[in-house]
Amino acid sequence: MSILIPIFSVVKKEWRIMLRYPSWFISFIIWPIIFPFGYIFTAKALSGMESSSLAQFQSIAGTTDYVTYMLIGTTIWMWNNTMLWSFGSSLRMEQMRGTLESNWLCPIPKISILFGYSVSQLLMSLIYISLSVLEFMIFYDFKFVGSPLLALLILLVSVPSVYGLGFIFASLVLWVKEANSMVFLVRGIISIFCGISYPLAVLPSWMKPISKFIPMTHSVNALRAVISTGATMDDISGEMLFLIISGIILMLLGLLAFFYTQRKAKTLGSLGHY
Amino acid sequence: MELRNYLIAIKAIIKKDAKIFFRYPANAVFRIVEPILWITPVYFLSKAFQINGENIGFSQYSGTTDYMAFLVIGSIVSSFVSAVMWGMGFSLKNEMDVGVIESNWLTPIPLWVQLIGRSIFSLIMTTVNALTVAFLVWLMFGFNIAGGILMAIVTLLPMLIALYGLGFGIASLVLITNNANNIIDITNFCLSMMSGESFPITVLPRVLIPISLALPITYGYDAIRGILLNTKTLLPIPVEQGILVLFMIIGIFVGYRILKWVEKYCRTKGNIAFH
Repeated sequence: MSILIPIFSVVKKEWRIMLRYPSWFISFIIWPIIFPFGYIFTAKALSGMESSSLAQFQSIAGTTDYVTYMLIGTTIWMWNNTMLWSFGSSLRMEQMRGTLESNWLCPIPKISILFGYSVSQLLMSLIYISLSVLEFMIFYDFKFVGSPLLALLILLVSVPSVYGLGFIFASLVLWVKEANSMVFLVRGIISIFCGISYPLAVLPSWMKPISKFIPMTHSVNALRAVISTGATMDDISGEMLFLIISGIILMLLGLLAFFYTQRKAKTLGSLGHY
Repeated sequence: MELRNYLIAIKAIIKKDAKIFFRYPANAVFRIVEPILWITPVYFLSKAFQINGENIGFSQYSGTTDYMAFLVIGSIVSSFVSAVMWGMGFSLKNEMDVGVIESNWLTPIPLWVQLIGRSIFSLIMTTVNALTVAFLVWLMFGFNIAGGILMAIVTLLPMLIALYGLGFGIASLVLITNNANNIIDITNFCLSMMSGESFPITVLPRVLIPISLALPITYGYDAIRGILLNTKTLLPIPVEQGILVLFMIIGIFVGYRILKWVEKYCRTKGNIAFH
């Protein structure tokens, strides 16, 4: 019970700040439309006026529908991107504003602060993804071939991996005291290794094993299989199993990283430094 | 005399920006790493469409099979667009947040001179950065340029000066709304996309092509690619260069007038320190 009250307080505080600056909602409406735009029209230009280049893409990706292909990839990327900015900047902002130390002095489990940010971020992501799907249907003629519920299940199973990575990331930012560069690096790795806009078959052989170890690759693959080709639970069981196991591992690593950083920061007294 | 004072102020602002920039070396490194992180996925995307190592489909729209050269030129021009927009708009927001904007406005240096000063360091770093990134991308992925670099620079210059007008407009918007990130990010992204940073605008839906053609930056991308890569251009290159010169004159005049108006509005309202 003692952990739930601070989590709720952090969520309440975060939502109050967000509602006080409602311009974020405008970017929530605009980004799902404009972010895949570049990839989609680049793919259109690359496919040419005749079908030979598109046939080449189909032979590797298994589909000629590059629009749905990009939309799924970019949505997962965007989810991770907002999570990284949120986790990276939340504690860092408190550090810069000078409120992190006073928050740390509260007689609550410190992890509840991070859980509070997670719940708040998860709610925001749910709104973002729902809005994205709606806009994709209107502007990009997006359709579910498979089950939307199974797609939702894939997203839910991906949550521990995404937020486990977020916990590690938040701890790292407290260490290096620099959020921007870290976000650029991690989201760059995701966009290169997870096949956000292209089939992984085009990667050089040394890059392929790395991409298979990143959970987002499996989220994107499973979502593409379900949404574009109507794959069932049996078809994506391998991906789901990987997401569950990697979720447990990343969550544990995230908690360990946070507890370690917390102890180190207390010993060094570096919480307020920037 | 006045000009000399302005130059001294610009020099002081450049010195201050350089000091802050080199104080955070991780940022300096990431300014080179980040464009490569953006270019790499598009490189792999182009590979997925290649037939025998060439982007045949792409050449049907653009006149070249060398998509990487097309993309790198687009990225370089975009980095200059971003430098002006972020250098002007975001620096104002930064000063608002840090609480020094009011004291800066109390100095006898006009706001437009302060804004130019802030964007110059950003432009210098962008030039160094763009050349480094182009070299690294050439090493990593390879691309060919036909020649005409001097002519490409001559084409880029009026566009850059014109962008200052746009920068004044963005700075005005930031002053009125007290919101920088979203405005700059979305405007910058839309401008780059609609003017053909990474694809020829002829692939856009018909309804969007008039918007794209109405953006003078489109002709900047197109003319520079035409000169360096011999791509198919929308209009003859001298006509596109003429449009850019016209854009430069109108852009600077309109941007300056808007900024003066907003500056007066903010001074009357007294809202520059609000956030």
